[in-house]
Amino acid sequence: MAERLITYSEALNEAHRLEMASNPDVVVFGENVSSGWRQVTKGLKEEFGRERVRDAPITETAFIGMGVGAAIMGLKPVVELMLVDFGLVAMDQILNQMAKSHYMSGGAVKVPMTLRATYGAGTSSAATHSESLYSLFAHMPGLKVVIPSNPYDAKGLLIESIRGDDPVLFMEHRLLYPMEGVVPEEAYTVPFGMANLVREGSDVTVVATGLMVGKAVEAADELGPKCSVEVIDPRTIVPLDEEAILRSLRKTGRLVIVDEDYERCGFSAEVAAIAAEKGFQHLDAPVVRVATPNVPIPYSPVLEKHLLPSKEKIVKAISQLVGY
Amino acid sequence: MEIDEETKIELYTTMVRIRTFENRARILIRDGEIPARSGFYTGQEAVAAGVCAHLSPSDQIGSTHRALGHLIAKGCDLKGLMAELCGMSSGLNKGKAGPYHIFDPSVGALGANGIVGGSVPMVAGYALTHQLRDDGGVAVSFYGEGASNQGGIQETLNLAACWNLPLVFVCENSSPEVQRMLGHEIDYPQLSIERVSDRAQAYGIPGATYDGWDVLEVYNAVGDAVKWAREGNGPTLLEFNVHQIEGNLEGRIEVRDDERIWCPIHRFKERITDEGILTTELDEKIRDKEKSKVEEAAEFALRSTVPAPIEAFKGVFAGGP
Ligand SMILES: Cc1ncc(C[n+]2csc(CCOP(=O)(O)OP(=O)(O)O)c2C)c(N)n1
Repeated sequence: MAERLITYSEALNEAHRLEMASNPDVVVFGENVSSGWRQVTKGLKEEFGRERVRDAPITETAFIGMGVGAAIMGLKPVVELMLVDFGLVAMDQILNQMAKSHYMSGGAVKVPMTLRATYGAGTSSAATHSESLYSLFAHMPGLKVVIPSNPYDAKGLLIESIRGDDPVLFMEHRLLYPMEGVVPEEAYTVPFGMANLVREGSDVTVVATGLMVGKAVEAADELGPKCSVEVIDPRTIVPLDEEAILRSLRKTGRLVIVDEDYERCGFSAEVAAIAAEKGFQHLDAPVVRVATPNVPIPYSPVLEKHLLPSKEKIVKAISQLVGY
Repeated sequence: MEIDEETKIELYTTMVRIRTFENRARILIRDGEIPARSGFYTGQEAVAAGVCAHLSPSDQIGSTHRALGHLIAKGCDLKGLMAELCGMSSGLNKGKAGPYHIFDPSVGALGANGIVGGSVPMVAGYALTHQLRDDGGVAVSFYGEGASNQGGIQETLNLAACWNLPLVFVCENSSPEVQRMLGHEIDYPQLSIERVSDRAQAYGIPGATYDGWDVLEVYNAVGDAVKWAREGNGPTLLEFNVHQIEGNLEGRIEVRDDERIWCPIHRFKERITDEGILTTELDEKIRDKEKSKVEEAAEFALRSTVPAPIEAFKGVFAGGP
């Protein structure tokens, strides 16, 4: 059979449908999730009914907290946040209740909940509609943080999230929704904590997440024979496949981290710390970060573009290291 | 309340200004000169006009993702506003805000907000300041019926009631008959009550619901609530039913025939024409004047320069980087 191409958002939609069909405990709620314009949840209400697919009022604290409670009771809620920025309204429910109830209860309760959120800049929407924020959530012990960069991973990681026993923040870059890729029709899982070696190389290691994976590959392609670039997509930043990063570092001795989140105390800093602590002897050059500087994302396209990581900035960072 | 002719013409003019401005912004979005979408206020103009007519620049408002009407009625400079929408350095916020985050303290517009319900607690702070300074000032908080469920708003209603703050809560209910969210049908209601204003009782403050398409009804209701607040009697919750109407790219103020009954401009025009206050000549004069002001604003925005990229790094902290 010919390989089937579908988009990232279709892959996510399919993951929902497969899991809802096989497990009656899977329920979906969030703002406007029953509307046709929400690409990922489109058609779910028609197929599974309004009992299991519910439009929630604009009350992030209440409906995310409801997801936590329902998960503790044994349901498998998949809760949608229209944008990750809006999750900041519900910090207590996400960072205290969702993240820590399992641990604080001494394991007496489990929170098998998936909180899906779109994220990302590049649409001139300014700071409250453009941020990545995954580092903020990854900081809190107890939350798994997943960032698929392509349709195949999106489907497999979402099914893994739904089937798992832990709370997951599932981050979907909005500019990836139309991306096409080969995706099998049946249900499958992509395990957490296992990085994807996207591109093999021997001179420089680039660790990138989400939308930045594609940009890193473009940069590597552009450099062509000048430099052999290895691109690693961790796929989940909690848990993080440290070994894959260190293995690559042993080979290349040079590390660039590309991260759309803010730089300070962010995912890029975490990877740099791992390299410094556990890969110091392999490093031939300083670690370079290409992340969003510590400035709230501005509205004007000129300003926004100036701040965001780009192919050009990645090429520059890699070139700088090769010459080191 | 008897409303004089001058005030009526002023209310009409403000509504015309808002609609003219928004339709111009729609064209700039189509042409790619405004780089993003914006929430529009078309059909709701009577609320902003009727509220802000009672406020001076030393009174504050907090607004929403649908802020243009509120900002214009509060007196924001049209040039600075349009330039901001275009992302220019001459914009009210140097191109950093866009439609969702505009602040203009010079006229008390503090501010638009991209987070649904986000501005409301801050408005309590504006009101608290007036109370502490005992200056007779008030603050008005605009938000939608969808926002009205947010915890932050419920908490602010309680706090404002407990501290007797000079604050008027203005909820614009844009789906008074069929509940909708972002214009889309929803499968479960978002409100468990018919009137958002019923919640006032739960906090022990006055509250009522009015026709938001009738600018005089808005003007009267807000006049009472603002006076009540200025005199130290505390907050009020006003709900205005409104209907969001499609704008157009032809620069027309008129709306489709079937939308006319909800169009505050159409309704008020008929009324003040009947009363003999608005003649055809005066109407044309008002429209032409507003149109040329808006055109000037658009030209100003288009002639402005985009910010230098390095500006992105400035202003993270008040005292410099
Ligand atoms: C906290 C938060 N959640 C969700 C959104 C996305 N959103 C923007 S406007 C909107 C609907 C707001 O409805 P309402 O308050 O009734 O205002 P209206 O759009 O009708 O003027 C939603 C859900 C947001 N901006 N912020």
